Amino acid sequence: MKFLVSKDLEHSSLLANLMGGVIFTLFFYLLLDIVVHGYVVGLDAATVATTLYGNSEEFIEPILIDTLLLQVHIDLFMSLLTIMIVAAIYIRLYNTSMTTRWLVHLLFILGLLSPILLMVAYFSTIGFVYVWLVSFVMGHFLGMMMSLLILKKLFLK
Amino acid sequence: MKNLHLYNIVIVYMLVFVVAILVSGVWLFLLSQGLSNSDVLETLKSVIYTPDPRSLHSFIEVATPHMFAMGTILFVVAHFMLFSTKVSQKFSLIVSLFLFAAALFNISAYLFISFGFFVSGWIKLFSMGLFVVVSVFMLGLVAFSL
Repeated sequence: MKFLVSKDLEHSSLLANLMGGVIFTLFFYLLLDIVVHGYVVGLDAATVATTLYGNSEEFIEPILIDTLLLQVHIDLFMSLLTIMIVAAIYIRLYNTSMTTRWLVHLLFILGLLSPILLMVAYFSTIGFVYVWLVSFVMGHFLGMMMSLLILKKLFLK
Repeated sequence: MKNLHLYNIVIVYMLVFVVAILVSGVWLFLLSQGLSNSDVLETLKSVIYTPDPRSLHSFIEVATPHMFAMGTILFVVAHFMLFSTKVSQKFSLIVSLFLFAAALFNISAYLFISFGFFVSGWIKLFSMGLFVVVSVFMLGLVAFSL
């Protein structure tokens, strides 16, 4: 990541385009990640509850803890890399803005909480399913919004 | 570079993320060894005395994503030591290389069991413990350098 911070953007259109490329890709990754989680876990409280706790009336077994933990393990890794890249470039381009600090904090907190809340929901009550849904969707939309702001700054001067 | 301290936020959260990944990884390993049916101590004993048999296929299935993920994370974490003014570059280099070696040892440890070089699973526990300890030490160095 050092090169993202130290290279002068004004004199390197290559770096600006590379940043644009990675952010463009990550924008679609975040969008598709929501879709993937919709398939795997669900994106409304009823579907998520059925995935986590099963449904005896419809003979649906709850998800295995191994399967859920593997998903959480992968989510943590993917979130870390995605958020770090988005946050590093955002700080680089918006370092004079007062909101940058809070947006970066919020992005990391939501990204970290989402996978943990999914595990908490599995072991506790449906209330945490709602909290997970809000944090997951908000975190992804925030990442996408910051990506769009980066692209705007890079290419729409 | 203005507001360089903002990057400290990124580094601090990265440290927390890596700890969460380590915890979930160890938990996943113990689950694969029967943690859901017994307590932690019993599971550790079963890893030592009767490690879960794994085929070469399942070993490669687990090792492949870990090679990529662990290599990437270790590089990202260790490269922050380039900015450190409190820890020498030579010491950072030694710890980083040792960390990469521990990661490789941890990933490949189950191979020794699968091929029958070791009957006991202590080597897997030892390699995992070593990797976790060195990782936490490296995370501590990065945190200390902030």
